[in-house]
Amino acid sequence: MPTPVLAAEDLSKRFIAIKALDHVSFELAAGEVHALVGENGAGKSTLIKVFGGIHRPDSGRVLVDGAPVELHSPADAYAKGIAVIGQELRVVPALSVAENVMLGHLPTRPLVPGLAATACLRLDRARMRAAAAAALGRLNLAFDLDQRVDQLTFAERQSVAIARALSRNARVLVLDEPTAALEEREVQSLFAVIEALKAAGVAILYVSHRLDEIVAIADRCTVMRDGRVVADLARGAFSAAELARHMTGRDVAEERAGAAAAPGEVLLEAALGGDVRLHAREVVGLAGLLGSGTTELLRRLFGAAGGARLQMRGRALVTRHPADSIAAGIGMVPNERILGLVLDQTVRDNVVLPNLARFGAWWRMDDAAATRVVRELLEALDVRPPDPSAVVRRLSGGNQQKVILAKWLAARIDVLLMDEPTQGIDVAAKAQIHRLMREFAGRGGAVLFASSELDEIVGQSDGVLAMRRQAISARMARGAGLTEQAVRDAITYQR
Amino acid sequence: MRRDFLVGQIPLITLIVLGVVIAVLTPRFLSPLNLSNVLVQAAVITVIAMGMTFVIIGGGFDLSVGSVVALSGCVCAMVMMEAGIAAGVAAGVAVGALVGLANGLIVTVLKVNPFITTLGTMVLVRGVVFLLTGSQQVPIDQSLPQPFIDFGIERLLGIHYLVWVPVALLFALSWVLARTPYGRSVYATGGNREAAYFSGIRVDRVVASTYVWCGALAGVAGVMLASRLQSGQPTAGEFYELTAIAAVVLGGAALHGGEGKLYKSVIGVFIMVILGNGLNLLNVDSYWQRVAIGAVIILAAAADRLRARRG
Repeated sequence: MPTPVLAAEDLSKRFIAIKALDHVSFELAAGEVHALVGENGAGKSTLIKVFGGIHRPDSGRVLVDGAPVELHSPADAYAKGIAVIGQELRVVPALSVAENVMLGHLPTRPLVPGLAATACLRLDRARMRAAAAAALGRLNLAFDLDQRVDQLTFAERQSVAIARALSRNARVLVLDEPTAALEEREVQSLFAVIEALKAAGVAILYVSHRLDEIVAIADRCTVMRDGRVVADLARGAFSAAELARHMTGRDVAEERAGAAAAPGEVLLEAALGGDVRLHAREVVGLAGLLGSGTTELLRRLFGAAGGARLQMRGRALVTRHPADSIAAGIGMVPNERILGLVLDQTVRDNVVLPNLARFGAWWRMDDAAATRVVRELLEALDVRPPDPSAVVRRLSGGNQQKVILAKWLAARIDVLLMDEPTQGIDVAAKAQIHRLMREFAGRGGAVLFASSELDEIVGQSDGVLAMRRQAISARMARGAGLTEQAVRDAITYQR
Repeated sequence: MRRDFLVGQIPLITLIVLGVVIAVLTPRFLSPLNLSNVLVQAAVITVIAMGMTFVIIGGGFDLSVGSVVALSGCVCAMVMMEAGIAAGVAAGVAVGALVGLANGLIVTVLKVNPFITTLGTMVLVRGVVFLLTGSQQVPIDQSLPQPFIDFGIERLLGIHYLVWVPVALLFALSWVLARTPYGRSVYATGGNREAAYFSGIRVDRVVASTYVWCGALAGVAGVMLASRLQSGQPTAGEFYELTAIAAVVLGGAALHGGEGKLYKSVIGVFIMVILGNGLNLLNVDSYWQRVAIGAVIILAAAADRLRARRG
C-alpha cells in the first residue's frame, strides 16, 4: 500500500475537561475521497483544526508523505499542501475570479523591462489569467475570469476557493460541511468538481452531516465518537443506517410520521404567494430551492419582513413585527442559530426572552419561576447539561437548536414556523427535533417547516407546500402521491 | 468558574491597588477633606457613567453627554431664575432627556452610526449652549436661589447631598437593569439585536430608550454641577463624555454591547477620579496627567478586546 499523503498517529488533544481527541489515528491516500463523520462534539472539528494548523495536539504526530511535520499555523499547513475549505470562504468579494484564484502568489513582472528589483514589480495580468483559467479548467469549470467574486453564488465562490487551493498545489483538500448551504443542483456540480480533483490525484477529506451524500461520494469513511475513531469502513461496507449506528452507538430508528391524524380546525390562514392554511395537529413541510422564497414566506408570516395580513383562529390580524405574531400565538425558529440565540447569555435568559411578560410583572421578573420552567423544558428536550444557567455559546449545535425550541415551548403558541430546523446538526439530535415537532402538533399545534432536504420533507410532513419563484407551486398530502420525486418536480424549474 | 470570577473582579482589584499605592505615596490622599473631594468629583461623573452604561449595554455609544451637562446646567439656571427651583431642576433634566430622544431617533429611524450621530449632537448642543447664554455664565450678576446653592454644599450624615444622588440612583437603576423585563430586553438587544428582534423585542424602541436614559442622567449631572458651581456654565462638562466612556469600559462593560453592570461602571469612575486626584496630589504636571489618563483608556479598551478574543 502506498504511503498515505496525510496521516495522524495516536493524536490526543484535551480542552480543560473534555477529551476532544483520544488516541486518534487516521490515514488519507492520494486520489481518495475519505469521509469523516460523527455527531456534534465527536472530535471531527478538532481533528480538522489539527490538520489545518489551528490546534496543536497534546501528543501524537501528523505525517505528510510519511514524514512527521509540525503545523504551527494555517500558513504552515498550506505550505505542506493541506488546504481547508470551511463554511466561511476565504475569498475577497471585491476582487475578480482570476485575482481570487491566484491570491497569495500573484504572478508579477518588472515594472520596467529589464529591471529586476523586487520593489519594482507589477501584476502580470496575462499570466494571472492564464494560470487561473488553467486551475479552473482542471476542475472543468468555466467562469468569467473578470467577474467580481461578490457577484457569484455561494456555490460558485466555493469553487473559486477550491481552484485557489489547486493553483497552490494543494495535495490534501479538507472540505468542512461543503454542502450545508448548497441547493441539490449545486451539490451535483460540487461532486463533479470532487471527481475532477480525485482524477488529479488530490486527497479529499470530506466532513458532512449528510450521510446519504457520504454514501454517494466517499471511497472510505471514518466514524468518530467521543473523541475516538470507532469505525473505518471502505466503500460498499457502509450505508446511511450503518453510519448512523456507529455515530450514536445504537440503532436510530428513523422515526416517520405515521398515518396522518385527522387534522383539526384551521389555525392560521394567509394569502402570500398562494393560500397558506395550517390546521391543528398538522406538520406541513415547505419545500423549495434556495432563493425560491421559503425563508421570505416564513418571515412574512412571522412579521419579520414587512407586514402580512393573516387570520389566526378566524380572527384577522396584521403582523408588522414579531411581537405582534408572538402575541397572536405564532413562534419562529429562524434558519440561522445566530438569529435565534443571544450566545453570551444563559439558557434561561434566552428561553425567557420571548416570554418576558409571562414571568413576572413589568417592574419585577420572577426568576425562580423562570428557572423552574426552563429546567423542566431542558429535561423534556434532553438538553445536556439541563442547566438553566449554562451559557448558550458553550452548548453544541444540536443543544443550541433545542434551546431555540424551548423558547417557543415555554410560550403559549399554537403555530410554530421553522426554517431549516435540522440544518447542520447530528442525526440523533435531528431525530429528537423531528419527534418534538410531532409532539407539538400532537398537542393541538400546527408546524410549518422549510427544509432543503427532500427526504426530511417527505418523511416528516402530513402535507407539503412546494415553492417555486416566490410562489406556491403545488400542494400535496401524505398518502396521495407524496414522494421525493413529486416534490422535486414541483420545486425545480420546468425547462 | 473561579477564573471567570477573578477576571470579573479585575476592576475592583485595580481600584484597591491604585488606592493603596497612592495612599502610600502621599498620606494626604486619606485626609477627610481630600476623600470628600474625591467623592464629590466622582458623584457627577458617576451619574453620567450610569447613563452611558445603559447605552453601551444596548450596543450603542454616546459622545454628547458632556455638552448635555452644560446645556442642562444653563437651562436649569435660566428657568430657575424665572420659575423657581423645582421648575429649573425639571427643565434641566427634561432638556437632557430630549437630546437623548433625538439621539435615539437618529440612530434607530435614520440608521446613522451612533458614533457619528452623537459626535454631531455633541458639537451642535455645545453651539446651542453658547447661543443661548451669549457664552456668559447664568445668572450673570445675581445668584441662584439659596436652597439650590445649599444643596451643593451641605451634607447629610457627614456626606454631601451631591453624593447621595448617585447612591440612590445606583440602587434604583440597578434594579431596572437586573430585575425588570425591560432590563432583560436591553441586555438581549445589545447582545444580539437580530435574536432579540426574532424573539419579539421591539429593538428600536429599546435602543432609543437607552439614549433617553443617558440624556436624562446627563441632565441630572448638569443640574448637580450647576448647584456645585452655583451657576450654569456654558463651558462645563468638556471631556466628561470621554471620562464616562473610559470609566464604563474600565468597569468591564463590553463595547460591542450586551454586557456591563452599573456598580462596575462606578468602580471605573473611581479608578479615573482617584488616578487624577493622586497625580494632582503628587504634583504631576497636568500635561503628563493627560498622557497617563489617555494611556489608561487605551489599556482598558485593549483589555476589552483581549477578553472578547478569549471569550
